[in-house]
Amino acid sequence: MKRRPENPLLRYQLFGFTLNRWKRQPWLYGAVAIGGGLTYLLVLLLVAFSNASFPVALQLCLFAMCLAAPLMAYHLFSTEYEKQTWEPLALTRLTAWEILWGKWAAALARVALLTLLALPILFINEDLHIDLVSPFRGRFITIFEPTHALYVFVAGVSLLFCWGVLLVSLGMWLSFLLKRTLTTASALYAGQVFALALMPTLYLIFSEGETGSQLIATIRSYREGFAWWGYSLFTAQAILALNPFWAANELNAIYQAWETTSWNRTDPLYPEGLIYLNWGFAQSAIYLALALLFAGLTYRRLKHAWRK
Amino acid sequence: MLDVKGLRKEYGELVAVRDIYFQLHPGDVFGFIGPNGAGKTTTIKMLATLLEPTAGTATLNGIDIVRHPEEVRPLLGYMPDFFGLYEGITVTEYLEFFAAAYRIPRSQRAAIIENVLELTDLTVKKDAYVETLSRGMQQRLCLAKSLVHDPILLLLDEPASGLDPRARIEIKELIRELGAMGKIVLVSSHILPELADFCNKIGIIEKGELLVWGAVDQIIQQLQANRVLAIKPLGAPEPLIQRLEREAHVHGVETRDGTLYVHFAGGLEEQADLLSALIHDGYRIAAFREESLDLEDVFMQITKGEVS
Ligand SMILES: Nc1ncnc2c1ncn2[C@@H]1O[C@H](COP(=O)(O)OP(=O)(O)O)[C@@H](O)[C@H]1O
Ligand SMILES: [Mg+2]
Repeated sequence: MKRRPENPLLRYQLFGFTLNRWKRQPWLYGAVAIGGGLTYLLVLLLVAFSNASFPVALQLCLFAMCLAAPLMAYHLFSTEYEKQTWEPLALTRLTAWEILWGKWAAALARVALLTLLALPILFINEDLHIDLVSPFRGRFITIFEPTHALYVFVAGVSLLFCWGVLLVSLGMWLSFLLKRTLTTASALYAGQVFALALMPTLYLIFSEGETGSQLIATIRSYREGFAWWGYSLFTAQAILALNPFWAANELNAIYQAWETTSWNRTDPLYPEGLIYLNWGFAQSAIYLALALLFAGLTYRRLKHAWRK
Repeated sequence: MLDVKGLRKEYGELVAVRDIYFQLHPGDVFGFIGPNGAGKTTTIKMLATLLEPTAGTATLNGIDIVRHPEEVRPLLGYMPDFFGLYEGITVTEYLEFFAAAYRIPRSQRAAIIENVLELTDLTVKKDAYVETLSRGMQQRLCLAKSLVHDPILLLLDEPASGLDPRARIEIKELIRELGAMGKIVLVSSHILPELADFCNKIGIIEKGELLVWGAVDQIIQQLQANRVLAIKPLGAPEPLIQRLEREAHVHGVETRDGTLYVHFAGGLEEQADLLSALIHDGYRIAAFREESLDLEDVFMQITKGEVS
């Protein structure tokens, strides 16, 4: 069997730099690690002792992802230009795909790590009944017995991870396109504020607060749900539907519908419609598709600009 | 063998490199000389397969650099005029990165790295961090990196620029050594004396045009046809200048420090005739000799457009 050639770039992007820095300034990095760990614990406790619901915990993690993911990608190619290291790299026998993968995979690995770190925060909240105050209110084994809770949890994690993947892929492409680290970072953060805050606000102003829930409540099959996505992508509706914060918020409706069925089933139609939309998973799939698109665009530029 | 066949690069209206032809053989150290903006870097980048020529091509050992860049790349080592090195890693790790990127088998790497470190005199620095090296050492490290895959062609773009005199001498020694190892070395510079003592071939480029190229002594010989006679008259030089300017073979007289430098197109016969005619006419001549040309004169003459 032929062994796959090693990818020194992936190793360098993943470890080379960080490990060496660690070795050189153990105190500084030790302090940073301890500070980061303590902050993480603090957030964990905050979520545990507050009445934060699952969507709130998820939105907290999404917010952290929005801040952190650009940091993992905004420099990927721009430093090669800024520090003038790209020519020697282009001349090596690494293929365009290996170079792309080396950088992309390093960023993806960091997104995966961040998602893993988010898991405890997502577990410990009011809705899923495992909080530190009363650990035995719900038993670990049975927490996911209600399928809706499992749905909401998995969809939430997938939203978080795929949003991160989209951000790093976009960041990678922009850092190749703009060739400047600072410009890329600014574009990523400004772009997020624009797409996640300004656009939805504008949308709600023009739609007079109507979020489209009435239409969703009429959806009664996956086929209709699929059609709705097709339709929404060509209308302003996607501005809300593809917003991960909005998506996280609406996951709550699905969860609440399950929680309240036995008591007062107020408006079950809307949550059911969301289920037919594959709410959460559909967004994740679209994020991934966009991420692939940006990776593909980066690949094309790489092949062209570096004559690979 | 490097065979450059009509390389041309246009940037819109500007012709940066105009149909360049030359051939180099193993062991040749080729000094590529021209003022700033002459097109040296553009030519070198085209040879390094980083820039696509507008027209023309070159072959390295028969492989076309335009059609098969990926096959040529492992055969060449390139040191850009402005370059950066990956930081946060040690000299050895840096070289290991490139050894792996050039797919050198793991088992051979240590020996090769030891060799290039020895050659570039960096053995004592092998565990130092890249960014702590002096400019001259970084230059040598960049060269070391270009040597790990044992290329047959080395393209060094202004390797001596920005170095102190000592580092300059060291890099010259190194280049001489590389030529002796049987590599084709192409070194560019805008300062001629930098190259004069260790190149066996030179090419002079101005405004994208390769004005002249060939073995150093051949070029000097070629220019003997248009030699300079230094005549030192006793007394006022003006009558002699007027007399000389009437001569058929003389096309220009300059005066420096009381000596007349006469641009003379004739051969040895005509030269002897001129001297006897002057003496016959009663001019008192203290010295009459032929100025021997060195590379610098060649450069000055050629780039002034006196020969082309
Ligand atoms: N990317 C570019 N776009 C337009 N003009 C360029 C570009 N690169 C180089 N030139 C022009 O081509 C000419 C040759 O430049 P260069 O090869 O860098 O010269 P040298 O290395 O001999 O100093 C210059 O006039 C320069 O302005
Ligand atoms: Mg140059």
